[in-house]
Amino acid sequence: MTCRRDRFGVAWPWFRIALLAAAMLAAAPAARANEAAAWLARTAAAAQQQNYTGTIVYQHGGHVETSRLVHLFENGSEFEKLVNLDGPAREVIRSQGEVRCYYPDAKVVRIEPRTFRNAFPSLSPQQQKALAEFYDFRKAETGRVAGLETQAWVFEPKDGLRYGHKFWADAATGLLVKARIVDDRNEIVEQFAFTDLAIGVKIDRDMVRPTWAVAPPDWRVRQAGPGDVDMKETGWIVTRVPPGFVKIVEGFRQLQGLRQVAHLVFSDGLVAVSVFVEPVGAASHPTGLSKQGGINVYIRQLDESLVTVLGEAPAATVRQIAHSVARR
Amino acid sequence: MGEQISRLMDGELEGAEADAAFRELKGPEGVASWECYHVIGDALRRCGEPTPGFSARFAARLDAEPTVLAPRPKRAPRLPLVWAAAASVAAVLVVGSVAVSTFDAQPTVIAKAREANAVRTAQARPQPVSPDYLLAHQEYSPTTQIQGVGPYLRSVAAGGPDGRQ
Repeated sequence: MTCRRDRFGVAWPWFRIALLAAAMLAAAPAARANEAAAWLARTAAAAQQQNYTGTIVYQHGGHVETSRLVHLFENGSEFEKLVNLDGPAREVIRSQGEVRCYYPDAKVVRIEPRTFRNAFPSLSPQQQKALAEFYDFRKAETGRVAGLETQAWVFEPKDGLRYGHKFWADAATGLLVKARIVDDRNEIVEQFAFTDLAIGVKIDRDMVRPTWAVAPPDWRVRQAGPGDVDMKETGWIVTRVPPGFVKIVEGFRQLQGLRQVAHLVFSDGLVAVSVFVEPVGAASHPTGLSKQGGINVYIRQLDESLVTVLGEAPAATVRQIAHSVARR
Repeated sequence: MGEQISRLMDGELEGAEADAAFRELKGPEGVASWECYHVIGDALRRCGEPTPGFSARFAARLDAEPTVLAPRPKRAPRLPLVWAAAASVAAVLVVGSVAVSTFDAQPTVIAKAREANAVRTAQARPQPVSPDYLLAHQEYSPTTQIQGVGPYLRSVAAGGPDGRQ
């Protein structure tokens, strides 16, 4: 056995060096996991804490829609307003406690309480591990987007159960200027991109007030119950969870119409897939695959229950989860 | 030399090379090689063992009948490589054009096949799903959380849920 002596005269047998190298290599994915998780936390913080306004383009499946967005962070509270510029007027008002969607053409306002009042709940150790194992996170090119100098970052999936993600962040503040989801053929599934964005500007409270009164009298108000942070057993399980996905939430939610729905959420650290199970009602439901932008939806009937699975994952992943929902 | 005989057996030799190989066959070493390769070939093809002394008897017959070898057919002049390449390209074009015309002739079959394939590869139709579920889901997704309110456009997009569901 050959030994190398360092400057202190300590013998370093070759196998110790090999072990050290192996340990460092093993630590590398963990270091990368922390890097990715840290980047997610920084980016979420920028989205919460910056004041900004701009024009955002939402692109999906050949459709392109433009909206105006205003975000204010004042005294530790967040206020946001999103108004679409194409098609029937729609508005989203997001404040510290809730998200309201206004549909003036249908005279409906939907209110969804926000579970996570903080900017970003830190990822669990399992989510961080999944992030490192199933995505390759790396820095990409710098460039100019919406008039700002940006740094691009890529989450490349290591298997076919996930989409690829590319994010362009403002170099100065870390705020996202563009976010893109691509499939395995590198085609764009969905993209949100600012075409103009002013960061750090003065925003008045008036700029984030909804256009309509909080609850217009002749409108229907659809209020959902609060979401769950803890795990409560619902009596439902997913028997074949795709690799890399961990359950982060389970409980009953009250969706509009006072329906009690079991809600389970699985996440791989970057995206999430939700499973909703409820008693099948009298009305017939379309079953099978559909999509809403980057979100794939799979609905199926399981005995007397209706299972709805949706998330930012390829159709195959969503379908696999839907077909392995079972009673505990 | 054994290699040349092997190539002769495989029909790879022509012209002067073939003549040289045939001359070698007349010698005892050539015959031994010929026998050897045929035994190997037969063994591979399971034709059974040749009877002992076969090669000696065969050589004797060869000597006795100088014209036992069939007259070599007059070989056609070899086409230059360029011609061969052109011929193969032409063949591909012919096959290709047949395939294309078949393609055009049955558009409905192709269309149905494409549609079936689309379903198999899970090309989902854009369809509004109740915003209830979308809104309940979005908060939990890290990609949504790092973008602020933008992704909520999915819930209010034109062609998306109109709030009535």
